[in-house]
Amino acid sequence: MSGVGIVLISHSRALAEGAADVALSVCQDGARVIGIGGTEDGQLGTSLEALVSAVEKADDGAGVVIIADLGSSVLTSRSYLADPSYAVPGVHLADAPFVEGAVAAAVVASTGAPIEAVLAAAEEARHARKS
Amino acid sequence: MPASPESAGTTLQVVLGADLHARPAGQVAQVAATFEAAVSLLTGGRSVDGRSVLAVMGLGARAGETVTVWADGPDAARAAAAIAQVLNAAAVSH
Repeated sequence: MSGVGIVLISHSRALAEGAADVALSVCQDGARVIGIGGTEDGQLGTSLEALVSAVEKADDGAGVVIIADLGSSVLTSRSYLADPSYAVPGVHLADAPFVEGAVAAAVVASTGAPIEAVLAAAEEARHARKS
Repeated sequence: MPASPESAGTTLQVVLGADLHARPAGQVAQVAATFEAAVSLLTGGRSVDGRSVLAVMGLGARAGETVTVWADGPDAARAAAAIAQVLNAAAVSH
């Protein structure tokens, strides 16, 4: 499928993959959503190499929105974007809540919308009220 | 911004056969995005943009409640009908 790709990065692989599952379920597998997290030996942590490879996998030319959960997930994403040897044009870090942003971005990406719209949907997700 | 429900447009009412959960909300947003018309869902005195999956989910609409689908734009009639169909189908599939 063509369209904007979404990479979810967390300290926890289970958290990232679970959020990706929820997003894929709501958009009915209509978008590419990849969840990454944890270190190679299965501990909590983040890996720049894993992010590089996930972004490559998620990108079909329409761009990639990265959604990070906390702390070093955000720092790793920023390092990736700041490093000219990795970063490719059209990759953006969303200022968005992790699960809600993933769901909103996936649904909009599944409609074939451009990256600006996908990024905006992720960032607007912070306004979703729960009480 | 969805236009005001008080202005002209197409209105359809659907009595939900099932709670408006995440997956049907996702379908509503996906279908709404295929039309030029602005689409709003109204229930319990609240109105939300049909293209926002989180807003549609956030309505918290339950089985038995009436949801008004309102569309405004050149393809409003088709848009409202398509959204109503999604809501009806969601009821059946649950």
